[in-house]
Amino acid sequence: MAFLVPPACREHVVGDLHERYTTRGQYIAEAVCTIPLVVASRIRRTTDPQVLLMEAFALYISFLGVAWKLDGTSFLYEQWGYVRLAIPAAVALATLKLEDAYANPGKRSPLTPILQSTFSFSIVCLFEAALLAIDPRWAVPLRIMLYGGAIGIVLVSTLRMLFPPVDSRPRNAT
Amino acid sequence: MPKVDSLGQFEQLVMTAVLTLGDDAYGVTIHAKVSELSRPKAVSLGAVYVTLDRLEDKGLISSWLSDPTPERGGRAKRCYRIEALGERALRESAATAKRIWDGIAEVWGKEWAKRWAKEWAKER
Repeated sequence: MAFLVPPACREHVVGDLHERYTTRGQYIAEAVCTIPLVVASRIRRTTDPQVLLMEAFALYISFLGVAWKLDGTSFLYEQWGYVRLAIPAAVALATLKLEDAYANPGKRSPLTPILQSTFSFSIVCLFEAALLAIDPRWAVPLRIMLYGGAIGIVLVSTLRMLFPPVDSRPRNAT
Repeated sequence: MPKVDSLGQFEQLVMTAVLTLGDDAYGVTIHAKVSELSRPKAVSLGAVYVTLDRLEDKGLISSWLSDPTPERGGRAKRCYRIEALGERALRESAATAKRIWDGIAEVWGKEWAKRWAKEWAKER
């Protein structure tokens, strides 16, 4: 269970769960109720709403720009293009937020923004592949995915270098 | 002097728990105290963590990691204490609660307030 808890709060959360251990069932039930709230709290702590909006805009614009350039208006107007392009952008954003929550605050390197963006794009590719298998009407064409994803990685990496996740707020004690 | 955010009801419970526990305020003990204060309503451990994080971000409490102990599987505790800003916020909340109590007692009568206080003391 410990690996499900974000590293930033793993030490005390897992310790508290261990201290309250009575039976295996109680432990699992308590962990299942506690961990999602801990992750949500971690997401809130690492998220700057303004940067989140900028990232969402950058991701959507990168897919939209490529779709406009490659397919003109036919994809956007006739095939629910505007909605379909929001799916990879939303999945990438959700992945980025989870990556921030599970990042180890003590181990942040200058390459982290690029690695995080690339990983989130890989998850988007897997999600789109699954969508293609389940319901191809909602999947984004491959070339739009690839070019849009590449532009998205560059834009989001740049944004993350300029505005790192809110994790180094001044604290009275640590 | 910095402006103090008003506390929500659950935040008041968590702050009271941290204040009364003193040096022994960490996740498990805070949860136990909050559960006792909010009886009969059940409180989840996750909700306590979320509130502690929020209060820490507001600068009302601060935290530090203690030494690991064997009964916790070799894991450390995160201990909490109230900061000056937190004390001010809690004092304001207590004053508001007192005003509410006085207002109710004025309308429903002193006898009711005495009876209610007796019942409350018995329940504790």
